[in-house]
This record gives sequence, C-alpha cells and structure tokens, in this order.
Amino acid sequence: MTTERKPVLELRGISKSYGSVRALTDVDFTAYAGEVIGLVGDNGAGKSSLIKVISGVYSPDAGQLFVDGIERHWKSPHDSMLAGIETLYQDSGLAPDLSIGSNIFLGREKMRKGILGSFGVIDQTAMEREALKHLEKVGITLVAGKRTVSQLSGGQRQAVAIGRAVAWAEHVIILDEPTNHLGARQSNEVLKVIESAREHGLCVLFISHTLPHVLQVSDRIIVLRLGKVVRDSPTTDYTVESLLGAITGLNEASAT
Amino acid sequence: MSTPILETPKGVGDEVVRGDHRLRRILANQQFILLVVLTALIIFFATRNSLFFTTSEFSNLITDFSGLILIAAAETFVITSGGIDLAVGSTSAVAGVVGAFAMQGLLNGHMNEMGVLLIGTLVCAGVGVVAGIVSSVLITKFMLVPFVATLITFSAGAGLALVFSKGAPIGYNPNAITWSATGLGMFTWLAIIVIAIALTLGLLLHFTRYGRYNFAIGSNSFAARVAGINVQRHIASVYVLSGALAGLTGMFFYIRGGSGAPTTGVTNSANLQAIAAVVIGGASLTGGVGRYTGTLLGAAILTVVTDGLIFINVPPTWIQVVVAGLIAVATILQSIRPAMKREQ
Repeated sequence: MTTERKPVLELRGISKSYGSVRALTDVDFTAYAGEVIGLVGDNGAGKSSLIKVISGVYSPDAGQLFVDGIERHWKSPHDSMLAGIETLYQDSGLAPDLSIGSNIFLGREKMRKGILGSFGVIDQTAMEREALKHLEKVGITLVAGKRTVSQLSGGQRQAVAIGRAVAWAEHVIILDEPTNHLGARQSNEVLKVIESAREHGLCVLFISHTLPHVLQVSDRIIVLRLGKVVRDSPTTDYTVESLLGAITGLNEASAT
Repeated sequence: MSTPILETPKGVGDEVVRGDHRLRRILANQQFILLVVLTALIIFFATRNSLFFTTSEFSNLITDFSGLILIAAAETFVITSGGIDLAVGSTSAVAGVVGAFAMQGLLNGHMNEMGVLLIGTLVCAGVGVVAGIVSSVLITKFMLVPFVATLITFSAGAGLALVFSKGAPIGYNPNAITWSATGLGMFTWLAIIVIAIALTLGLLLHFTRYGRYNFAIGSNSFAARVAGINVQRHIASVYVLSGALAGLTGMFFYIRGGSGAPTTGVTNSANLQAIAAVVIGGASLTGGVGRYTGTLLGAAILTVVTDGLIFINVPPTWIQVVVAGLIAVATILQSIRPAMKREQ
C-alpha cells in the first residue's frame, strides 16, 4: 500500500558501537507518512540506540539517514526537531512546574508583537489558548491550559507530551514506551492519540514492551534482535506467538 | 474528533477556582499570607513604638530593603533555576572595595562627583561579573554542584576583600553619604534606582523567554535540553547576572557608608539573608517554583523584623534567632500547603 510513495524516513546500513559493544548492525528501514510502526525487541536489542540515532542523541558510526528524501546528519537532538522529528522520552520530557501551555511551547515560545517582543516578552495568553487547540486536534480535551503539568494525572501528562509531539512534528514522532506505568483506560487513550496522529498524516514510531498495544495500533512491526532487524512485516502477518518468537528468536526455524 | 478522551481528575486545578473554593484558594495563596504577615508586623511595631510609623523611619526601612533586594533578586533567579549562590555577600564586599579604590583614584584626580559614582558603579558591577564568571565556569565547565562552586567564590571574595583593603574601609567619601540621604519623600534616590532595577528584574523573570527558560531548567533540565534550550549557557548567564547584582549591592553600601568596607555583606551573612528572603517568598530550593513578588515580600518582612526589633529595643543578638524562627515557620507552612491542595 505504501511502496509507490516517497518514504518520510529512511535508514540505510546504520551501525553503532559503544566501545567493543555492537549496539546496531546494518539497520535498514523505511517509514511512510500516515503509518504507525511498532518497534519491538528484547532489552538490549537496540531499540533505544536506534531511536537515539534517529532523534540525534547519538551519531551513527556508519550508515545514512534520510528525512523526506534528504540525507541528514544530526549534531544535536535540536537538529532533528527542526527537521520535523519529535521524540517523546519516557515521561521526562515535560517541565512539571510549568503550565500545559508553557510546556507545549517550550523552546518555541510565542513572542508579543512589536517592541515588547523584541525585549523578549512572551505572549502567554496566546500560548495557553493555542496549546489547547493543538491538543484538541489530536483529541485531548483539558479544561485549562494554565494548570501546571504536576497537577495532571499520569495519563494526562503523557497525553500532553504526545500532544506536543504531534503539534510540532512535521514528519515523524517517536514514542518511547508511551503506555508504560499507565492503567488500561489511560493506555487506551494514548493509543487513540496515536491513531489520531496517523490520521493527521504523521509517521509514528511506537516503541513498547506491551505487545498487545503494539499489535492493536501499529500498521507494521519491526523486530530488532541483537542490534539487527530480524523481521519487518505488516501487523496482520503477526500473532502474539509469532511476534514473541521473532523477539526471542526461539522459533526462528519455524518462522523462516 | 475532539471528543474528550481524557477526563479531568476531580478537584485538581479547576474546582478550586469555582465559587466557595475561591476564598480557600486566596487563603492558601503564599503571597497573600506574606502580605498579611508584613502588615501585621508593621502594625505590631507601630503599636509598640509610635516612632516606627513615621516618614523618616519608613525611609530608613526602604533604604535597608534596597540593600537586600538586589541580591535577593539574584538569588531568586539562581534558586528557581535549580541552583544556589552563596557568593553574593562576599562578592558585594570585594566589589565595594575594588570600586572604592577606583573612585578614590578618580576623586584624587578631581573628577566630577557624579561621574565618579557612575564609573564606580560600572567597576563594582564589573567585579561582580568576574565573580559570576568564576562561579559559572566552576559549574558548567568543571561540573561542580552550585553549592560547592559558589562556596569557593564566596571564600575567595571574602578573602580578597580583606587582602585588597588590608581590613580597613577604603576611600572615605562624605559626599556620597550626603547624596544617599536625598530623594523624594520617604524614597531616597538610591532606593528609587535600586527598586527600579529590582522591578525590571521581576518583569524579566515572569514575562520573558529568559525567565521562562529559567523556570523550565529548574523544573526539569532534561526537558529543557530536549526542547532545544541551551541549558549550560543559561545557567552560566544566571550566575553572571547574580554576580553583577551583588556587585551593584557593593556600590549601594559604598554610597550608604561612604567607603568600601571589606566585611559588609560577609559578617552579616547577606547571602543567607537573600536566600532566606527567597525561601520565605515561597520558592522551592529544588528549582522550578517561585514568585518574584514572594521574594519582594520576603525581603520586606526580613527588613521590617530586623529594623523593628532594634526599634523596640530587642538586643541585636536576638534578631538572628527571630529570623531563624521566621524561616522555619515559612518553610513549614509551605510543606503543609501542598498537602492541603491535595485534600481539596
């Protein structure tokens, strides 16, 4: 369904080592707009390394990274942000003492018009107002943008973090364990936000240990094992058992 | 599409602003409590000694307040960014001494009085900036925790002030003292200038991007970094700002005392007073939380208590103890308030 479209994110031959430890070996994959990709693998399979390469926390030792067809080399996570990739770090990407609006606009503050703006004065009311609009777009309704993040429940915080990612991402959002530590109902809400991001034409990279969530929401699942991509197929090709088998490598023989 | 998928938890944020909860919210407001305490203190001292409630005593109070407010403002920036600056008191001492040497030289060269004071102000601020840079480098390049880094700057400043001055006040300037008493009503020009600077800093903290980054870094520096904020550069700038304000405080004490005294700001633990003002004002020492108005009120309360106790003939030795009690009450109140919020 996606083969004739131009990939929004493409990795070719990405490798990364830490000293003598090889974290990623020759990783290739392509991702398209409007697609949710589940990225799964055991601890140490290379999921974190891979997303850190994509988001610019680490530079790869070898390989190429293309965003929207253009080759990129990140110097910092900020570079990937500017190129339209938003990363949601496990519930630590928000400043709890700042309001929802301030968090959504953190690092991208709206300035007041005219002379006040040139003195660095920020337009707080506009930010609070627009923050709620951004969140509503992905189906998150919070009553007041003025509330601080510390006043929100765990699920709401996660929703704000995802909402911020969706609001600013032009191409890709990377969600690292977004349903971790959340109850069943809250997890479902987060999954709905992911679906809504897909409807907005974003590519979502969804990293999770909770396989039912991955199977429920993703269009395609990429399995990493020992730093290599061992399987990359549409979600419909997997069952819980075959997915587990691919992750652990136990039924390698029967899978191939 | 915009179906409310996340229901709002009961009683958090929204409920308290409604109807009968509004009064509770005001009563739980730190700034409001501080204002009540300040008013009560003024009334208390005025009833004990009628001279307390006079223009000349208020003029004194405001000028004393001015000596504390710049370093308290500096400490507000530092503390809300998640750090602490122990160096402010000794920085003001060494800046005052160095500035006094410069001004003594210029006065001997028969330079115009106002010109001397202006250049002296720049020299004091400059010495403060140097002290701030030292703290910044220790924190951002050598990765020392702010407490240790600024303890180093504090000791160096206190020591150098004595070394440079050989322990004696530098450059007696009676004209500065005369000028320090002139002004508008109960506000001396000196107080007006200092308060204007202090108010500008309040605007910087609460209404600009710089202030927003300050709170963001104090609240979660990782979040600030991944949002593209240059955290190290901001932290460095905060200590430089703090140093500059401490330097200006050194100039303030030069004008008030008519000389650069090497122990002003050190022997009276000005750094701890500034931190106390910020803590009484409701800022959290872990960073991210604090209001500038809280610091202003905290500094005002400290000033009124210190001056008032002298006024009603309490021995100065007891004043520190009373201040200790004040800090204890303020911080204990703060630790109770979040619990109250949760219960609502």
